[in-house]
Amino acid sequence: MRRLLLVEDETALREAYIMILSSEPYILDTAVNGQEALKYCQKNEYDLILLDLMMPVLSGVGFLEKFSAYSNFSGTKVILLSNLSSGADLVRAMKYGVRRNILKAEVSPKQLLSIVRYELER
Amino acid sequence: MRNTKTTIPQKNLQTKHAAMLEELERYRLLVENVQDYAIFFLDKDGYVETWNEGAQKIKGYTPEEIIGKHFSKFYQESDRKANKPAHELELATRFGRVEDEDWRVRKDGTRFWANVVITALRDQSGKLVGFAKVTRDLTERKQHEDDLRSVNATLKEQQIALEKLNISKDEFISLASHQLRTPATGVKQFLGMLLEGFVGEVDPKQLEYIRKAYESNEHQIEIVNNLLKVAQIDAGKIMLHKSNVDIHKLIREVVEVHRDNFRRRKQSVTMDLQPASRFAPVDLAHFRMVLENLVDNASKYTSERGNITLSARANDNNLCVSVQDTGVGIAEEDADKLFEKFTRIPNLLSDSVGGSGLGLYWANKVITLHGGRIEVQSKPNKGTTFHVYVPLGRVGA
Repeated sequence: MRRLLLVEDETALREAYIMILSSEPYILDTAVNGQEALKYCQKNEYDLILLDLMMPVLSGVGFLEKFSAYSNFSGTKVILLSNLSSGADLVRAMKYGVRRNILKAEVSPKQLLSIVRYELER
Repeated sequence: MRNTKTTIPQKNLQTKHAAMLEELERYRLLVENVQDYAIFFLDKDGYVETWNEGAQKIKGYTPEEIIGKHFSKFYQESDRKANKPAHELELATRFGRVEDEDWRVRKDGTRFWANVVITALRDQSGKLVGFAKVTRDLTERKQHEDDLRSVNATLKEQQIALEKLNISKDEFISLASHQLRTPATGVKQFLGMLLEGFVGEVDPKQLEYIRKAYESNEHQIEIVNNLLKVAQIDAGKIMLHKSNVDIHKLIREVVEVHRDNFRRRKQSVTMDLQPASRFAPVDLAHFRMVLENLVDNASKYTSERGNITLSARANDNNLCVSVQDTGVGIAEEDADKLFEKFTRIPNLLSDSVGGSGLGLYWANKVITLHGGRIEVQSKPNKGTTFHVYVPLGRVGA
């Protein structure tokens, strides 16, 4: 079974994404910031990480910096799930070999699921 | 010499002497009456020997007050202590002349910015007999230069501040867009789950309301996106990446994206794509958004069972993509306002359509960046046609 890590600090959005992703047979872990995500990544290997960018404690870019120090992203795909469509943070994040940036406000639940499915099968 | 002298007739000598005196007198008058230059002699030790009107005007001393006094009086206290007067005479003696631009002091103690030239004067045997000193008061020029320098410095500071502000503005717009999108995203996901059947069946009336709320939220997201796009294009942040785009394929894709809207509004779509207009050098992502915007407007402002026609044609120089509708149309006097920021033309459908008044402003800017233009033809209650022209020059040209 595919293992996913959702990293999202906004409670309402986290709840929504948990509900959406739980409709598929995935093992889903959730972290509220980059720091917590790192801890999960040290314990488990993920097929896909859905990563928010603007988060307290450790941002998405901060997570990617630290995560890339011990992972070459070969087994783990990363999708940015953020509402940033421009800015320095997005540019920096895209340098870490992430698969794509999903603008959260642009995808409906079904669209999100089909993107996740597509990236897992790719 | 003596022999020569004796051969010159007495009368001639007198005439020559008188001419020389006259010449000397003319020079004396010239020097004495010059107002804008202080011109005077110093003896070889630096004591003032003569004084003209210009010197009196510039420095404030009468001849009686200054003749016989040492010229170091004209220097600032600090320069005198540093032995500058003697040093300048020394340089003039060694090199024939010395020029200096610096502060000097008037009789009343006030400063003036002086240009000073001291020239060493020697007799026929080469012996130093004194110095000629010419001083100009350049305080006004100096003031202008200082003012200019100060204005330049201020401008430079302001430019740096503006550049910083522009960077913070960009970051602000980017962050503000993020913050505005986040709550709308929550609404979108929860309503989306209801609409897309994630939590079971919802009765039709409830579904209708949920759809309305969802669409209203979509409109909110669209406004934020448009604000961000306009802010970026206004800040000159848009870089076009042109490639040879298959325009016909693009038009079909844009129609496909709007298929649901056409179906819901029972609108028919016609395409007229002439072969010559197949490829054009455009920025695919931006050109697609322009077409989507025009097609979206055409559908929104056309009532049920209307028709939308997309056509593409080309001549040697330009591609022209036209989006024609049979919708509410625009009065002639309103047509030009369409491309202004935040313009919304009232019509039968505008209340139900919503809109930010930014879409066409942005589209027009994007097409202008392509070196093209958007033209509009419209008749109220007959329909509107937007023609998008872009030049067909080579990519990268």
